[in-house]
Amino acid sequence: MGENKAEKREKPEQATSPFMPMFENFRKELDEHHDRRERIIKASRDITAASKKIIFTLQRVRKLGLPVPQFVVKGNAQYWETIEKQYQSISADVQGLNAYRYGNNITGGNQEFMEALSFQHYLENQTLVSYEEAKSKIASMSGAGGAVLLTPEDYVLGIFDMVGELMRFSITTMATNGKLPTGESKTAESGKQKSHEDEMDVDQEPRVADGTGEPRNVLSDLRALRLQLEMFEPSGGRFETDVRKKADVMRECVDKVEKALYGLTVRGTERPKGWVPGVRDEKRPEVETY
Amino acid sequence: MAALSAMIDPSIFEGLQAKVDEDSAVRDELKDIIQALEKNNRSISFVQSRAHSTPIAQLASVIQASEEPIKNAIESISKLAAAASKQPYYKFNHMWTRQVQDAIYSLLLWAWLGGKDFDQGEIKCGRLLTIEELGEVLNVPVNLKDEDKFHITIEEYLLALVSLVEELTRLARNAVTLGDYERPLLINQFVKDVFAGFQILNLKNDVLRRRGDGLKYRVKDVEDVVYDLSLRNLVPKKS
Repeated sequence: MGENKAEKREKPEQATSPFMPMFENFRKELDEHHDRRERIIKASRDITAASKKIIFTLQRVRKLGLPVPQFVVKGNAQYWETIEKQYQSISADVQGLNAYRYGNNITGGNQEFMEALSFQHYLENQTLVSYEEAKSKIASMSGAGGAVLLTPEDYVLGIFDMVGELMRFSITTMATNGKLPTGESKTAESGKQKSHEDEMDVDQEPRVADGTGEPRNVLSDLRALRLQLEMFEPSGGRFETDVRKKADVMRECVDKVEKALYGLTVRGTERPKGWVPGVRDEKRPEVETY
Repeated sequence: MAALSAMIDPSIFEGLQAKVDEDSAVRDELKDIIQALEKNNRSISFVQSRAHSTPIAQLASVIQASEEPIKNAIESISKLAAAASKQPYYKFNHMWTRQVQDAIYSLLLWAWLGGKDFDQGEIKCGRLLTIEELGEVLNVPVNLKDEDKFHITIEEYLLALVSLVEELTRLARNAVTLGDYERPLLINQFVKDVFAGFQILNLKNDVLRRRGDGLKYRVKDVEDVVYDLSLRNLVPKKS
């Protein structure tokens, strides 16, 4: 049988496949691709883990509109460093043609990073960090290799998740302080803190924060965020599916804060000190893929 | 509304929406071209499917008939390349990779059946179109690494090659039915050579791995055909 086939090829008998050189070349290229992908997946995981830890620490903050306290800055420094190191490690892998190639592999890390970044930004400034700011933040962390791309999709999905953090922050603060977190006056201790609106007396009752002149509270900000996120129209593909899923969770989060505030208003004083509504184990849909 | 704009600069989401809308306009443009390519691919396979029932002596007619639809597919790919090169390649590549693979497969089959070297003379089967030759036929770059524009990736080429092997396995049996005992031997060697190539690739858990894993069964299928022939002394004697 063997001799027969060799004859058919009208070539001197050859032990190896004539396609070998071509495949050897393919192997080299595929190996490079897989190595890059693995590096990116690993970086994405590390960025995710570090971002989660940052968020965890940030959840211990109780004041809104002030620079985060020292223990947060100190505690989180190492995690921000980890993130920076990871972005630097992959920046060369995601340049030019490859900028979008590994989008699915990095999106998990980018989203979680967005969540941490926007949460801290909100706690300090009581505003939503913009896409451009976030993008240049990652670019500045990516180092000399070139910027790691943050897509609008990564940004939006990260902001959806941030709503969950704001919910947790509101409810914990309500449980411990007995009132909804409200912006601190810029005149109180930190004059360098820049604020985007005229805030009045902090000690005023936050319940009617929608009225003009009152400092904004988390709930009015959550509602503003919800409005924007609901008006946003994703177009097709996986992004749309992800947005739909996260939008449901986002609405639930806002509802929970509204319910908690309702509870606080109705039975505020009856509530035993330190009581926490049972909303801490809320789940988030899994939409990150590697 | 004062409270709303204080929390969120309205231009943030306006900007994002504009970006998303732009992308979806690009997708709409690409979609039309991709659909046309899909139609072209179907026309090619309609003609090429006759190869299974055409004796090698008349195979030239199949090759000739497939020229027109192949030309159309190449045209569609040129259009796709022009439109897609305006965008980052990997941003939208998932939209057309399937259709491009099908087109590549059609061309691989066309070349294997003898279309590439066809010159009104005798048909000679068994040629593998390399990825570079493919790029020449399609008139698009292949395996770009530094330039961000439309090209044929090696993954697409390899996946199309798996499809070719699957088709040839079928052809091996159907050739026997047509009384052609030579082509199964040719196919046997070809499939083995391709399989040997795939074996040196370090495949990860992806689509290439899944489809590449199926090759060993195709090798066995063709071997079975050759075995049946040799058992009955039907293998042509060397001349």
